[in-house]
Amino acid sequence: MSTNLSGARERFLRAIFERGAEGASTALSRWLGTEVRLIVSAIDQVDLVEASEALGPPDALVAACAMGLVGPLGGSILLAFEDRAGLALADLLLNRPIGTAVEWGEMEESAARETANIVGCSYLNALAAYLPSGPADELAPTPPNLLREFAGSLLQFALMEQAMEFDQVLLARAAFDAGKAGLDLNWTLLLIPDRRSLQALTAELVDDPRTP
Amino acid sequence: MVGNAAASESEIVSVAIGQWAVAAAPSRLRTLLGSCVGVVVYDRKGRVGGLAHIVLPASRGATDHPGKYADTAVPALIAEIERRLGGAAAGRLVAKLAGGASMFPTGAPSPNAAMNIGRLNHEAVETLLAARRIPILARDLGGGGGRNLLFDVASGIVSIRTPGGAERVI
Repeated sequence: MSTNLSGARERFLRAIFERGAEGASTALSRWLGTEVRLIVSAIDQVDLVEASEALGPPDALVAACAMGLVGPLGGSILLAFEDRAGLALADLLLNRPIGTAVEWGEMEESAARETANIVGCSYLNALAAYLPSGPADELAPTPPNLLREFAGSLLQFALMEQAMEFDQVLLARAAFDAGKAGLDLNWTLLLIPDRRSLQALTAELVDDPRTP
Repeated sequence: MVGNAAASESEIVSVAIGQWAVAAAPSRLRTLLGSCVGVVVYDRKGRVGGLAHIVLPASRGATDHPGKYADTAVPALIAEIERRLGGAAAGRLVAKLAGGASMFPTGAPSPNAAMNIGRLNHEAVETLLAARRIPILARDLGGGGGRNLLFDVASGIVSIRTPGGAERVI
């Protein structure tokens, strides 16, 4: 089965995910004390094999903060990063020279989780305004779980809900861009709606007057 | 043929999500598992074995992706092994299972579906193998982490590596 995402539906999805990215950029810049932009790089609708490579080679180890969605949408948000990029984040937040942290400790993990929480909440708040239910229904992430996992295993699990219904799965991918020289923000944000939310987004919203 | 990657000598064959492959010794088969279940079936005497990467328990009539579902992938895997052995595998096939992890809560409105799918995959595979009287020699199932599985067709040994963990053998 396919969701047949194309044309106006894809443009609509991109538009609402970009609203989410704008909201997250503002909040993240404030949190990090430096200008950071989230850029929606792709709305991918691909088969499971291709989707399992969205974070690089499937057997590569990545760190990721995984959050579920609570409210009018279901699914997952993953903030994934290589160790080096995650540790650089902790250094920035703790006002240490980038490169100080060389392994994950309590402070580093806490910094990653809190950042994921801020990105997730602000992304979803901005995005919720463009949902049919409107901003009245609070859309929020669950508390982040920090995992060190094979990239392919992580995606396999996150995409499972969609795979129950569809042969092709949809994920929205955003990359980070930092103005500050030397700050490695090689992070990836993935929003993976569950099948019910995906059907709602792709089937019901196309006639919405707010559709760009 | 989709899902059926035949291996040449000494090769390591990667089995992608929702696919299956059969190979002869000395080839090895590998796959990466999260909530999916890896089904290894082999005939040690015939030195032929296969690996299926099961995503969901039941096809519900879908025919486009037989490797994705337990009820289509397991019969296809067994049929191909038996074909390679020219019917000589009767009563000699054995199996090993791995995977079926539940990694993190995925939130409302269907919070349990993804968390339970690993268990449902496992149950479906057990039922299918039991119906064919194929004994399961070892299981490495459940938990909260991924598995990198490598199956050596010659020995029947399945090596499992987890993120940050030591390699174990079943």
